[in-house]
Amino acid sequence: MIMKRLKPWIFLGVLALYAGGCTSAGVKNPSGTGVKVLRPDEAGFVAGTGIESQDLVAVTDKIARNILEVPEIKNAQTPPRIVLEPVINETRFTINKDMFLTRIQTELISKAGGKVRFLARERMAALEREREMKRSGQVTSTTDPKLQEFKGADYFLTGKLQSLTTRTSRGTSDYILYTFELIDARTTEIVFKDSMEIKKQGQEDAAYR
Amino acid sequence: MKPLPALLLCATLWATGCATTPPGPPLPDAQADPVAHGLAMIERAPRRDRVLWQYRTALHALRRGQYDTAARLLDEALVRINNIFGPDRDAKKARSLFHAESKKSFIGEPYERVMANFYRGMLYWRAGEVDNARACFRNAQFMDSDAEEKTYAGDYILMDYLDGYATVKLGGDGADAFQRAQSRAPAPLPAYNPRANLLIFLEYGPGPQKYATGEYQEQLRFRTFESPVVMAVIKMGTQELARVGPYDDLNFQATTRGGRVMDHVLKNKAVFKSATDTAGNVAVIGGAAMTMNDNTQEAGLVVLGVGLVAKLIAAAANPAADVRCWDNLPQYLGFAALELPPGRHPLTIEFWNRDQAPVATFTKQWNVTVAPDRDTVIFVSDQSVNLMDL
Repeated sequence: MIMKRLKPWIFLGVLALYAGGCTSAGVKNPSGTGVKVLRPDEAGFVAGTGIESQDLVAVTDKIARNILEVPEIKNAQTPPRIVLEPVINETRFTINKDMFLTRIQTELISKAGGKVRFLARERMAALEREREMKRSGQVTSTTDPKLQEFKGADYFLTGKLQSLTTRTSRGTSDYILYTFELIDARTTEIVFKDSMEIKKQGQEDAAYR
Repeated sequence: MKPLPALLLCATLWATGCATTPPGPPLPDAQADPVAHGLAMIERAPRRDRVLWQYRTALHALRRGQYDTAARLLDEALVRINNIFGPDRDAKKARSLFHAESKKSFIGEPYERVMANFYRGMLYWRAGEVDNARACFRNAQFMDSDAEEKTYAGDYILMDYLDGYATVKLGGDGADAFQRAQSRAPAPLPAYNPRANLLIFLEYGPGPQKYATGEYQEQLRFRTFESPVVMAVIKMGTQELARVGPYDDLNFQATTRGGRVMDHVLKNKAVFKSATDTAGNVAVIGGAAMTMNDNTQEAGLVVLGVGLVAKLIAAAANPAADVRCWDNLPQYLGFAALELPPGRHPLTIEFWNRDQAPVATFTKQWNVTVAPDRDTVIFVSDQSVNLMDL
């Protein structure tokens, strides 16, 4: 009689144990973490003291905004032409430094309503090849290909990333100074210079110290 | 259903519950193809060991001229080791009484983290990204900066030397970094030559290995070996171009940092284990004695039980130090910068022993093509396979 009553429970127990045998022993968070969409200016849960997307967005937003307020740009009769010069990275962090200038350029083109123009100097090899093909008649041309139509730069936009690092038993602190400048290509004058400072600190778990 | 068969059925089903996991393909042979083996291990090893396998495999790849693979693995490892701030569940577990230190995600001791940055810096330079290379050398030195023995904090000669060299190559002033390197070097370092266009990164000798000692294996120690090689000699034909002694010695670096914070944690764990075990022994013996007497028999059983519980807790406490090790690192690091005309050059790199004689098995004969418009960077280890053409 007792066994009859216990049978369903024994069955459930067997089932539970079988399922238990398959639990991922030792595997943490076995089902993973779902994708969470973050804004690029938002600090995620994976963070270090180095250069991250929210820094890139904050710095480039500020620089692009302030470039448009420079009198030489704001009051120009014709849109000034700008060439990007590589950013100099003096920090201890490896970065794709072109990203800074690419984002400033994108911000200026998309939000400045044609107030500035950029010259694609990094594409010169392909552009020269195309021009040569037009000049030799290999391909068609809508204008006289013999004319020099490649534009010269009015300004160079460049920048520098520098850092100071402190490390003590209480943690690591990284201060990064982002500086950007606009240089007049004719006079070598620096017509715009602006910077942004970001400081971060953190400490790793004692198990890693 | 009778209880005993039901119980046996339960046990069998439970034990076989996981037997349905299909076995993976066989691992590639570690001797024949260590890169393939390492790549397989990165996928199969526990997540906490992933960086360890990325380190090892990246170095195997470097020694086989598989630079893209090495760069990718080092990038993945560096993302992990540069972002370890804040709470970490694995690390918390490693600090707990009942788990070994090896429960934490492996990122390596500082000398291992330095080397990951160093190799990545070399690969950045090879790819023409000199400022990112410099960032890696600076980060490498930073990784060594938090030593208990302050005299030995951030004391790599080559990292500062290369920091300055990269600065010179970028048109800056590398004097500060050169001075820092020179202040720690036992002999005058070669002056920077901005026109040098062939940069040779050299390594030789067996690197440090980890082991644990102490009553409960709670003390991390390093085993070092005498290198059969003490110098590299670079030749073109019969002409000797450079003799390269060691700039840095990883055995020295691994063994001179002093204690870690984690060592204190492990020591406390060991003390707890020992004290609890002793208390358990006393309680078991005392309790057993008490049970002999009719008047104290019940109390004796309680004390005996407490003693046994204490013994169980002591047995479960785990103060073992983490001895996972980047085990294919070299002992010595060297560097040479040469100025050669662009084009193909037959180079011989010999590794010399203490008697100033080449160890023939390590000699490499490579044709190196020096680029006309940028630095040509090559990596030569005494463990490199003979690549012939670079």
